[in-house]
Amino acid sequence: MASEAVHSGAHSGVHAEAHEEAHHELPARVEPDVTTSELIATTEANATGVRNWMWILGALTLVGIVVAFVKVLIEWSDQDEWGYTAAMVAFLFSAFGGAPLVAIAGTLAKGNWVRPIARFAALCSLVSIICTIWMIPLILNLPMLVVDGARRRSIWFEGPDVSPHIWALVAMITLIISALGLIYAYAIPDFAAMRDHSTGWKQRFGAWLARGWIGTTVQWRTMRMRIGMMGTLYFFTFVFVHFIISTDFAMSLVPGWRDAIFPMYHAISSIQAGLAVTVIGLWAARKYLGLEKYLHLDQFWSIGRLMFAFTLLWGYFFISAFIVFWYGRSGSDQMWIDYLILGPYFWVFILAMLFIWFTPWWWLIWNRVRRSYNGTAIGAGLILLGVFLDRVRLYVAAWTVPEDRIHERFLTEYPSTVYPDVMDIFIMVGALAGSILLILAATRVLPILSIWDVQQFNLLYRPVEYMKTKVSLIGKPD
Amino acid sequence: MQQRRTIDQIHTNRVLLNGQLDTPKWWAPTVIVLGIIVAIGFFLIGIMVNKGLGVTGLSRPVYWGLFITTFVFWVGISHAGIMISAILRLSQAEWRRPVTRAAELLTVFSLLTALLFPLMHAGRPWRIIYFILPYDFARGIMPNVRSPLIWDPVAISTYLTGSTLFLYIALLPDLGNLRDRTTGWQNALYTILALGWRGNPRQWKLQTVGGILLSALMLPIFVSVHSIVSWDFAVTPAVEGWHSTIFAPYFVIGAVHSGVSAVVTMMALMRWLWKWEDFIRPEHFDALARLLIVVATGWLAFTFLELLFAVYGLDAPELELRDMQIFQWPWNLLFVTFLFTGYIIPVGMWLQKSVRNNIALMFWSSLFVNIGMWLERFMIIVPGLARKTPFVYTWEAYRPSGLEWFILFWSLAWVTFLMLLFSRFFPLVPLFEQKESQTFGDSIKIGRVRVPAIVREAD
Repeated sequence: MASEAVHSGAHSGVHAEAHEEAHHELPARVEPDVTTSELIATTEANATGVRNWMWILGALTLVGIVVAFVKVLIEWSDQDEWGYTAAMVAFLFSAFGGAPLVAIAGTLAKGNWVRPIARFAALCSLVSIICTIWMIPLILNLPMLVVDGARRRSIWFEGPDVSPHIWALVAMITLIISALGLIYAYAIPDFAAMRDHSTGWKQRFGAWLARGWIGTTVQWRTMRMRIGMMGTLYFFTFVFVHFIISTDFAMSLVPGWRDAIFPMYHAISSIQAGLAVTVIGLWAARKYLGLEKYLHLDQFWSIGRLMFAFTLLWGYFFISAFIVFWYGRSGSDQMWIDYLILGPYFWVFILAMLFIWFTPWWWLIWNRVRRSYNGTAIGAGLILLGVFLDRVRLYVAAWTVPEDRIHERFLTEYPSTVYPDVMDIFIMVGALAGSILLILAATRVLPILSIWDVQQFNLLYRPVEYMKTKVSLIGKPD
Repeated sequence: MQQRRTIDQIHTNRVLLNGQLDTPKWWAPTVIVLGIIVAIGFFLIGIMVNKGLGVTGLSRPVYWGLFITTFVFWVGISHAGIMISAILRLSQAEWRRPVTRAAELLTVFSLLTALLFPLMHAGRPWRIIYFILPYDFARGIMPNVRSPLIWDPVAISTYLTGSTLFLYIALLPDLGNLRDRTTGWQNALYTILALGWRGNPRQWKLQTVGGILLSALMLPIFVSVHSIVSWDFAVTPAVEGWHSTIFAPYFVIGAVHSGVSAVVTMMALMRWLWKWEDFIRPEHFDALARLLIVVATGWLAFTFLELLFAVYGLDAPELELRDMQIFQWPWNLLFVTFLFTGYIIPVGMWLQKSVRNNIALMFWSSLFVNIGMWLERFMIIVPGLARKTPFVYTWEAYRPSGLEWFILFWSLAWVTFLMLLFSRFFPLVPLFEQKESQTFGDSIKIGRVRVPAIVREAD
């Protein structure tokens, strides 16, 4: 097939963007030098605005930490007071922890569209640091395996008394290590670009972390291998952490709740939320860092389709559990429905269903919506709200079960609704602010879009004319 | 992985239509032998209908045995078509092209076979009608529409209808091709079936849109079918080992594992029998093996969760069942065989690139998977029923009869027989997909290197 490159950079500005949304114009290619200099410049871009935001987020984080200390001092022994903190940690880990999977899966599947977004998705894994910090009071508040002389139900069976506590910590630390390893494996060529194109401390920092990178064939091959290894490690650790958090920090606290699908349900909704976080991050990067040239409809459209698929998958996993409990009608089956759905958090459940499943389903089903920047971002926002509410429904309900009833065959009297107090709100806002702050701070050092990935995207992509139409030609190297 | 090969359209037509225009010599004897086995099978089914289920090993408390296991097995195999065809079509995976037709065909024939097993299992097949019609109008005894046993035939019939349509729509361009290359009654047959296909832009557009729409519509059906089959068991709390929330996705992912493995088996046979080395290449086996590693590992995770949460509740009957299933003779042998053939041996092999590109090894490893997956279904269905429970004074009563074993092997012969009959009249590798892949294949120059490339449409 004869291929002929279409003129690059034909459209620019607002008019071109509107035109692109309407007709899905093929993205124009950007020259390598321009890409490098513009993406390195993003670490300084909109410096005042970003700095102001960082101050605000830093202040909120600090307030959250101070309030958490106060809470530790006055409400330490009340397990039910920590439900909202548990929900927030579960939400943050779900949302930000799931995002890197977009990069990993896309890279392993050699998807070209995923290249420009891989960096941001990988950076989201930094939030595992925040989650680990906020998990410390939760780990310390988690009941021992032996309560009142008897062993409670858990996935640790006859394990040591502190198994859940130790394994939660081990899992989170492994996650942090794999997250940092993943970010670093992705970033080496960009550190080299920083070394060669920046000045001052950034140049020295880049030179130190680039480890003599000059882009030889061996270095590229090693880097790809590292990304594959760290990606696989991150994925397995991610699944393991979901398994630990969902069982030890929720299921095992509610007598009679035995739900084999729950860890997978937790992981699926995490990937759904991770996709949503990626969309919102990219939408913000496009809008506030002027990256329209690098973030195209292709990325939003592809993630939009994945979000839609995971929204349906969430519904499937939920119904798979629900139908078995509904038909089972045993005491513990009935308890699951009565306490976690129809019980004290009924309205939270309804809202969660609405935002995590029903509304995104009927919103993202439209191709026109998925093919728009704002439409996809709205869908993503709804999903994040839904996942947060779902975590509140599950974790607050689990943490409010009194410890003295943990040996019951199944819960017969349900604790009443616990609403968040002022301290809970400050802690939740602080944890969220801390997470955003960490990512924002990372983008001040590393470009939010990986330079080498964008370069490769441009190298492997050609807009070509085919008969009377325009198509993309995508290179598929081994 | 992309082993680009330029194949001209004349060569494609000649080689891929060799089953229809130039029947291979082995075809007739094979079909006759299989036909005899199929006839014996139908004769035995007739005996069973005449004598009743007493000729099987089924009895209280094991009332679901080999037939239901084989039913679940074939429903599982049927998941190959949609997994390969619909999902890979929607995700625009290029390597799917030579595989799609065989996968869709396997779906249709395995569903047809699966449907026969509940009929046989009913003992008096005509009474199946009471699943959907009232048993006694006068007394108002109605079928329980809330039962998964009712949803089962509905879901499977819908899936069968959709899969047949899917297969047919993808077959249209090839039927037009055959029409133009045959004479006499064959020409008349293909003329009718081709529905006036001329290959003009409008027809191509409709065919493509139809394929994509059906792909999207078939996906939820594909998931629902095996989920409903799983709920036949999971909504029954009375039988230990069945009442688990994970059953639906666990069955679906297991079905994809066995279905895609069956496609590998079939592709190896197609390559050997019809000598399609140019079209079914090691790269396709490599891609399928990579997919299978992911699917199989997911399936293993589900297996682990199923086992873990079965004992999590610390209920004595459940613990006893798992003890029997895993540690007691002869179940322990079956359990170990299932684990080794379903995962450890095949995935261990597929991790090696040399195995993924070796068609004979891929063939044998895919057979292992389906032995393991059949055993998995057997281990889910039978032990829970066979274990002694309070107030039941017969147990461990099930030993499949020779007739049941023969009907299991008959089902394999039956599906192969149908496939071979199909191959006599219709191409097993879609010609138009091959030609399209040639058109869409290109290369781009990066520095001094030419990299294989693929054309993607903007929308």
